[in-house]
Amino acid sequence: MEKGLSRLIGRRWADLAATRLMFVATVFVASVAVFIGIGLLLKSWPILEARPLSELLFSSVWCPSRGEFGFYPFIMGTLWVTGLAGIIALPLSLLSALYLAEYAPNKVRALVKPALDLLAGIPSVVYGIWGILALSLGGISIGFNVLAGGIVLAIMVIPVVTSVSEEVFRTVPRDIKEASLAVGATRWETAKHVVMRASLPGVAAAVVLGFSRAFGETMAVLMVVGNVARAPSSVMDPAYPLTALIANNYGEMMSVPLYDSALLLAALVLLVMVLVFNVAARLALARVQRRWA
Amino acid sequence: MNETCISIRHLSVFYGKSVALKDISLSIPGRQITAIIGPSGCGKTTLLRSINRLIESTDETRVSGEILVDGQNIMDRRLDVTALRKKIGLLAQKPSPLPMSIYDNVAYGPRIHGERDRKALDRTVQDCLQTVSLWDEVKHRLRAPASRLSVGQQQRLCLARSLAVRPEILLCDEPTSALDPVSSQTIEKKLVELKKDYTIVIVTHNIHQAIRLADYVIHLYLGELVEHGPANEVFEHPKEERTRAYINGTFLADIKFDKELDLKGTKCPYNFVYAKLALDDLAEGNILRIIVDDPTAVTELPRGMEADGYEVLNSNQLNKTDWEIVIRK
Ligand SMILES: Nc1ncnc2c1ncn2[C@@H]1O[C@H](COP(=O)(O)OP(=O)(O)OP(=O)(O)O)[C@@H](O)[C@H]1O
Ligand SMILES: [Mg+2]
Repeated sequence: MEKGLSRLIGRRWADLAATRLMFVATVFVASVAVFIGIGLLLKSWPILEARPLSELLFSSVWCPSRGEFGFYPFIMGTLWVTGLAGIIALPLSLLSALYLAEYAPNKVRALVKPALDLLAGIPSVVYGIWGILALSLGGISIGFNVLAGGIVLAIMVIPVVTSVSEEVFRTVPRDIKEASLAVGATRWETAKHVVMRASLPGVAAAVVLGFSRAFGETMAVLMVVGNVARAPSSVMDPAYPLTALIANNYGEMMSVPLYDSALLLAALVLLVMVLVFNVAARLALARVQRRWA
Repeated sequence: MNETCISIRHLSVFYGKSVALKDISLSIPGRQITAIIGPSGCGKTTLLRSINRLIESTDETRVSGEILVDGQNIMDRRLDVTALRKKIGLLAQKPSPLPMSIYDNVAYGPRIHGERDRKALDRTVQDCLQTVSLWDEVKHRLRAPASRLSVGQQQRLCLARSLAVRPEILLCDEPTSALDPVSSQTIEKKLVELKKDYTIVIVTHNIHQAIRLADYVIHLYLGELVEHGPANEVFEHPKEERTRAYINGTFLADIKFDKELDLKGTKCPYNFVYAKLALDDLAEGNILRIIVDDPTAVTELPRGMEADGYEVLNSNQLNKTDWEIVIRK
């Protein structure tokens, strides 16, 4: 009796402690994001005070020594490279994830999955080097431009998105796939209408994860996009994404007034872009699900 | 007697190296309900899934033999599987609504097979939902996700989804085992109504359900065909000892025992003597259940009882060591 009681108290206590601990951990993780945001905002405040926001965001003139800070070329650089990477990577990732989850024999999957996870773990400098080599040595000389950046970035994102999507596809219950096959749907129709639909939230999360990473990817892209501060007008133009701007210049030319603040603003803009992308993806998903539901 | 609808010739099915069905040959009559019965793992689901070739979607299966549906061999590699499956509906054990609205679930099949006309789809959906008596419950929320329905409603929805492509044959794999008694009854009632237009094959663990529904019975045991024939013959005068044992055995679940005796730890012939003494106290027709763990008793005791004029209804392994033997005076 005594023993039972003390055991009960012990379990209650452990339960309470675990709850508290998880709460604290969550607060900590969430507050890191807030602190980064606040820190960036404080540091970029001088330039936000000195220049109107519209000029900072939409002016194409980047000449720090003359005090002109137009971020437009860099924002466009980021959007072009990431967008192109998305156009290349999304269909490839989703199709290969579907293939692996729905079509591939077990043996193939057992071989390919570890390879994908390995690819996902390769440091981005390696991809960058590989990109440069491919650009300079390869018969396919496409030069240092958006196309090169997009391809390298796509190759970096594909393993992550494929691997996570494949896991998600495989959680779709066998029953509902067979229900679809049993009314005479082909495997592709089943994949399209049932598997993709059932796994949409998970796949969306995989895509958002992959591209949040792509937005902020620095090294590989920096090495192949050309880094010319002009907004690209085609994929064959060079570009200068925000990440490359920050990595190339932070810590140098700090004597130029407002320069330091401008680079931190670049970081803040990047953060906001990723945030907007996340929120937009979530809203789109909620909308689609409401329509389907 | 109705014309044969499905005939199976020398069908064997292997999962990897293990054999799930051994050389099955039988005919399933059209526009009747055929029940496949047998203990767990005997290959009922395998047989059912061979008929619509869903068995192929499992890795490393090998199928040999022939299955003729309306005279056509469906094992033919050139056969269009989608057309075959359109002709053969499936109702699974667990209700499996597709991740879409109630309406889209029913319209799924017709759409897959090319129906685009909105009016025709509306009509099909309403017809099928009415056939399964679901229409009145869902007509105001056809756009709601199917997953919000109760499990019983989901199973009726799945039946409607199968019917929407106008099949000729309906395969049901323990369609009521996940349902409450009332929902089960509804499904059973629907199946009986449907048999005038459809050939129905139902797998069931529930012998009472088989007796209620079946016109024709197939008994499988460990991948072999034990017996098949018209329901009244099989249930009343089974030709095979194993069929009789199975039918009695599953009946026993509901039998009231007049006396139970635990004879674990006693050896032959003492357990036999104890059992006889217990039977002496019982009235004619009463039922005694004894539990033994002596391997010799398992074979000898029933034999002795039968020799003494008692009826052994069943002997059944309960776990690694224990057996139950049921005797009627
Ligand atoms: N995918 C599979 N891989 C390997 N063996 C399998 C597979 N599916 C079934 N089996 C085996 O084949 C045999 C027949 O299985 P089946 O599912 O047809 O039995 P069942 O009669 O439907 O059983 P239950 O009444 O429990 O549903 C069993 O021994 C089972 O273990
Ligand atoms: Mg089964």
